Amino acid sequence: MAASKRKRGGEGAVNKKAKKGKFVVGEGKTKVETEQEKINEVTVPAPVSMGKWTNKERVLIFSSRGINFRTRHLMQDLRTMMPHSKADTKMDRKDKLFVVNEVCEIKNCNKCLFFEAKKKQDLYMWISNCPHGPSAKFLVQNIHTLAELKMTGNCLKGSRPLLSFDPKFDKEPHYALLKELFIQTFSTPHYHPKSQPFVDHVYTFSIADNRIWFRNYQIIEEDASLVEIGPRFVLNLIKIFQGSFGGPTLFENPNFQSPNLHRRQLRLAVAAKVREKQMVKEIQKKKRKEAKEDINNDVTADVFVTPDETKPVHIQTEPPAPKVVKKNKHKAFKRQRMQRGRR
Amino acid sequence: MVLYSPAMESAEEESLHSQSSEEEGGELSDGELQEAFTKGLLKPGMNVLAEESKKFVNNAAGLKQCLADFRRDLPWVERLDMTNPPAEDVLSKAEGKVPAGINGELDAEDDFQREMFFYRQGQATVLEALPLLKVHNIATKRPDDYFAEMAKSDQQMQKIRQKLITKQMILERSEKAKKLREQRKFGKKVQVAVIQKRQKEKKAMMSAVKKYQKGMTDKLDFLDGDQKTAKNSSDGSKKAAPKKGPNAKRKFKDQKFGFGGKKSGKKWNTKESFNDVSGFRAKTAHDKGARKGKGGNKNKRPGKSVRRKMKGRS
Repeated sequence: MAASKRKRGGEGAVNKKAKKGKFVVGEGKTKVETEQEKINEVTVPAPVSMGKWTNKERVLIFSSRGINFRTRHLMQDLRTMMPHSKADTKMDRKDKLFVVNEVCEIKNCNKCLFFEAKKKQDLYMWISNCPHGPSAKFLVQNIHTLAELKMTGNCLKGSRPLLSFDPKFDKEPHYALLKELFIQTFSTPHYHPKSQPFVDHVYTFSIADNRIWFRNYQIIEEDASLVEIGPRFVLNLIKIFQGSFGGPTLFENPNFQSPNLHRRQLRLAVAAKVREKQMVKEIQKKKRKEAKEDINNDVTADVFVTPDETKPVHIQTEPPAPKVVKKNKHKAFKRQRMQRGRR
Repeated sequence: MVLYSPAMESAEEESLHSQSSEEEGGELSDGELQEAFTKGLLKPGMNVLAEESKKFVNNAAGLKQCLADFRRDLPWVERLDMTNPPAEDVLSKAEGKVPAGINGELDAEDDFQREMFFYRQGQATVLEALPLLKVHNIATKRPDDYFAEMAKSDQQMQKIRQKLITKQMILERSEKAKKLREQRKFGKKVQVAVIQKRQKEKKAMMSAVKKYQKGMTDKLDFLDGDQKTAKNSSDGSKKAAPKKGPNAKRKFKDQKFGFGGKKSGKKWNTKESFNDVSGFRAKTAHDKGARKGKGGNKNKRPGKSVRRKMKGRS
């Protein structure tokens, strides 16, 4: 809508908003205020008036059916963070993937972020350059959205981000291609009408454990103290294709393990443990039931038998003399003896 | 399927040629095996079928070509991207820990290290990019009066603030409670110690007074006992270490009172106790001792008859 109604020179959009003049109470003042302030004081003017918007990059962000709330929120967050994005309705899963290209063309977008949910558990993300360019498929994990209370930063809606890449992106050709794709997709064009003129947040893409980690930080001070805004997610590369949503495979990630396989392995491990325990139990049972050796008659018992010498038989004719019991009268009582001993 | 035989390493070249002529998915029937044997491909011995490992596509040339086609050489102002390793971590260097990722692989399992790595990477970018942005006249600092819509609504920020505040309060409360507990324990100890000291002093005083009363000591030292003990304590520290083992008093008490249980027959009327006349004082027995305590009652009241006589007279 904005594209067709925008006047040349870029003042059109700004003025239109000023005419509508809606006040949104409690939401933080909108750009309307800035226009009114412009009349009163000299403040920062709207971006498009500063220069011409030449880098016509548009990203289409949408998903297939069967996504859960987290994915939906992630998509919404990406749409707020990227002012050069467009939304679309959910795509039916029975359509083939190359239909996405047609959707992009209709919407006049040249990049696409497509989220695909399978089994209501796994989320796959396609990032592609729409008409002919390369595309990549990722498995998305560890999603945290903007709404998480632990991420305390905030930034202007639609402000341009700084992009920060790990040096490992330059080392492999597939990472270099991905880096270019990310740069073109995520960087907001200069003088985009919906963008804000300040640069106050930075996206970091890092490589660890053969995955790409995405973080979004707010720049608080000029000395580079950062606070995380969110969202954050981890991308596990599956394949890179030469065409958009199809075409010959350029790269396949050898370290990728499909989530089904992963779950299967876990189940097998548990099953193996149970089986092992059962086996051990059975062996023990068998042992107990085995016929025990009869140890009552020891064959070797007579080996060391030596008869001892016979003693002379002594017959007592007189009764034995009584024992003289001497009582020690000078013995102290037992308790006192104990105490003395203790001392 | 690839036929692998341990004895085939020597005939590698032959096998390479033969593989191309072999059928790709050929069933290993006896006839074929015989043929292969006659050709000299199979040596006698154990021949094991080995699975060909799955080859992953890595078309480096294709990737580079694609990148070259796809790349748009935009000026830096459009892209705002930087590639840099993480910034120096002053804190961990001070502690002597090795910073993550610089020397070896970043451990993705160690959450703190990993997040610090990402954080420092962001920091390095910001530090490098800010001067560049200034050059291009792109502002980074938002003026105070610039109000615009934020990515997170005010409501969300309120919630976050509340959470932080509650966390802070919980922490403070637990800290207070801990301190109080510690104080109470300590205070209790101190209290007990003071009470015991007082009791000891009182006892000592009472025993000293009694001794004086009974005439065992005629020195009035206990009255200025505090000063003496104060002096002694200053000298006492220079004396030799105290005698080890229980005191004589302790020994006597142990002997007399024991350690509980049945009283050993101290109070029995045995021959020994009967013959023991140590507790006999002749003067007391014959009522000739000096009257202690009250002594003579000067105010002794006369008897009834004497009082009656006196009454009559007065």
